Amino acid sequence: MNLIVMPVVIYLGASFLVPLLFRRDGEKACLAACLFTILGLAVSVLLAVRVFPGGRLITYAGGWENPMGIALMADGLSVLFLLVTNLVSLLVLLFSATYMKRYTGTVNFYVLVLLMLAGMNGVLVSMDIWNIFVFFEIASLASFVLVAFGLGAEEMEASLRYTVMGFLSSVFILFAMAMIYGLTGTLNIPDFAREVSCLPQSHLWFIVSLFIAGFGLKMALVPFHSWLPDAHSTAPAPVSALLSGIFVKVIGFYCVMRISLNVFGHVAQVKTVLLLLGSLSMVVGGVMAYGQKNIKRMFAYSTISQLGYCAIGIGIGGYLGCLGALMHFIGHAFSKSLLFLSAGAVEYMEGTSESEDLRGINDRMPFTTLVSNLGMFGIAGVPPLGNFWSKLIIILAAVGAGYTGIALLCILVAVLTLSYFLRLLRTAYYSRTEGKKEKREVPVSMLAPMFALGAVVLLTGLLLLPPVRSIILDGAVRVMKDFSYRDLSVSVIAE
Amino acid sequence: MIIYLLVVLIFFIGLYGIVAKKNIIKIIVGINIVGYAINLLFIVLGYKWEGMAPVLTREVEVSEFYRRAVDPLPQALVLTSIVIDLAFLAFLSALAIRLYEKYATFDMDKIRRLRG
Amino acid sequence: MEKGMSEIVKGVSKMVFPFIMLFGTSLVLYGHLSPGGGFSGGVVLAGGFVLLLLAFGKEHVFDIFPRRVAEALDSLGAAGFLAIAVLGFAGGHFFYNFLDKGRLFHLWSAGTMVFCNIMIGIKIGSALFLAISMLSMSRLVHTKDGVEYRQSGEDE
Repeated sequence: MNLIVMPVVIYLGASFLVPLLFRRDGEKACLAACLFTILGLAVSVLLAVRVFPGGRLITYAGGWENPMGIALMADGLSVLFLLVTNLVSLLVLLFSATYMKRYTGTVNFYVLVLLMLAGMNGVLVSMDIWNIFVFFEIASLASFVLVAFGLGAEEMEASLRYTVMGFLSSVFILFAMAMIYGLTGTLNIPDFAREVSCLPQSHLWFIVSLFIAGFGLKMALVPFHSWLPDAHSTAPAPVSALLSGIFVKVIGFYCVMRISLNVFGHVAQVKTVLLLLGSLSMVVGGVMAYGQKNIKRMFAYSTISQLGYCAIGIGIGGYLGCLGALMHFIGHAFSKSLLFLSAGAVEYMEGTSESEDLRGINDRMPFTTLVSNLGMFGIAGVPPLGNFWSKLIIILAAVGAGYTGIALLCILVAVLTLSYFLRLLRTAYYSRTEGKKEKREVPVSMLAPMFALGAVVLLTGLLLLPPVRSIILDGAVRVMKDFSYRDLSVSVIAE
Repeated sequence: MIIYLLVVLIFFIGLYGIVAKKNIIKIIVGINIVGYAINLLFIVLGYKWEGMAPVLTREVEVSEFYRRAVDPLPQALVLTSIVIDLAFLAFLSALAIRLYEKYATFDMDKIRRLRG
Repeated sequence: MEKGMSEIVKGVSKMVFPFIMLFGTSLVLYGHLSPGGGFSGGVVLAGGFVLLLLAFGKEHVFDIFPRRVAEALDSLGAAGFLAIAVLGFAGGHFFYNFLDKGRLFHLWSAGTMVFCNIMIGIKIGSALFLAISMLSMSRLVHTKDGVEYRQSGEDE
């Protein structure tokens, strides 16, 4: 059996079988979705066992080799992303078992989530740019529908804006692909990575800027960010958690990383652009988040700000920069999905997410407040947690590479992040309330996934311990730092 | 060369529709025009004057085949891209209908409850 | 009240419908030999049903092609396509063409391709028909006070 295609096969099969078998039964659909996600997680663990010691797995669909066949590849970086994606989505699906009961047509919700997961897993294992595009579109279309899932006026408005922006991003990528195909005659990434260095500079820059515009739109780097706060703050909480926690990273961050580091090599101009856009989105996202009244909207702006750190990390490059970006991605994926889930829990019990209407959540929902604290401190980077170390590493890398200004900005935004989260905690969670204090905690079925995510957030700091790091992170960092597709020889077939 | 200019022209007409128009239906039309501009670009890339279908039979010589056969890959790619455009079109029109239900207008400026 | 369009339209649609189905089926079946294939054939098949929908109204079409069946076929086509791909593991590779290739330029000449095309045809035909009929579910009704939005066909 061929392991690399299995993540895609499992999720696609699940998204077709679930509506066939359980057309009206939301609970069974949820159970099936969770089981399939566990299967996907198991497959990614198996892949990790084979890939983390070093090396990569490559396979060709249909047994057709390089010029004809569609290549699929799994290396340290993509398997790390697979692990994070499947773990987060499993916990989010467990959470939505109870949360989604308020909505009608929940079978469709699980089908769409499974389709989105199929798209994301497909992006992670593809080595053919067209294949990446198709999976990217599957995931994106599912996410557009998921944002509008509640059919409220705001949700559909956000979805409309998001869809138009998403279409623009796919058009940019398609344009870049047409250019690549016209100039090199191939869409296989190793092949065109080899050809690309022979192209005239002007063509190269045109292609690179189209790619950065396209994937940057999905990553919500600042000039292209306007859709993210609307979409992520109005969607149902599990959808926001999936979108903010993993979707923007897999579809945006991972693709930007692959294109800028592994396809075009570490080119100085691309790095400058990433540094510029990264610092811009870090600052703008942070400042905008500070002014938000709505909890979910604040979290959405904070996502933009934190993705800026990731962009800066890959912009600096080198061992430290790549390690920082990767660790920041892991820490942020878990903490941000935890935060959105906890915001969903608050909304579930209180009926609103406007921080002005929320007073003293701690008195009524102590456990939810506890996990919210954990998520906020996880993102703000309070010392033992993962994002503290990742921010420290990125700052050190920036100083080491001579970007002192950017290092200062990173520190300032980290302080800003902590300050807006502390202000939110003070006004909404720990403020005093008059009257009686009745406990109105969410059900255990919603608390348990949040606590599991919280436990993972607590553990992210341990990733930096040398034995763990050398197993999990170093392979991926090596891929980011040294690997280039053009070194991949034409006739590599593993398995 | 002139045909590439045509592609660029169509692309920018569609982009104008997306960016400048306020009516959702016109934006959807603009989206489709942009999509077809890119599809046309792909087709033009694979086209050959006086080309033939890329099927190698016994009657066709190999050198003739190399010279005249059109590239089939862009056409397959365009088919995929058309399917994706179709999905976008279906979803956006459903969304437009539902939005009309809520806001009683197709004007993007009036559909403006979210801010910040 | 008489549903749908005029008698002429209905009669012509009724006459043309079998030929559209035939054309769609042939496009699907001969997709590996001539222009056409699962997608184009599926669109033609869906077009036939959309013609009926326009001429006779929703109720009539949903009588001969119920929504539940369309939804089931939609999932079934996609699942079947995936199943063919996974069966390729019998030959060692994902999407491996494990069947006998037959004689060139005959219907049986491409192994699994025919089945892939059939599955895509089923999927696209039912999905497109569903999408268009869902879009036609809602309509604007002009009343004295202005335009009102109404959802028709509450069969769910």
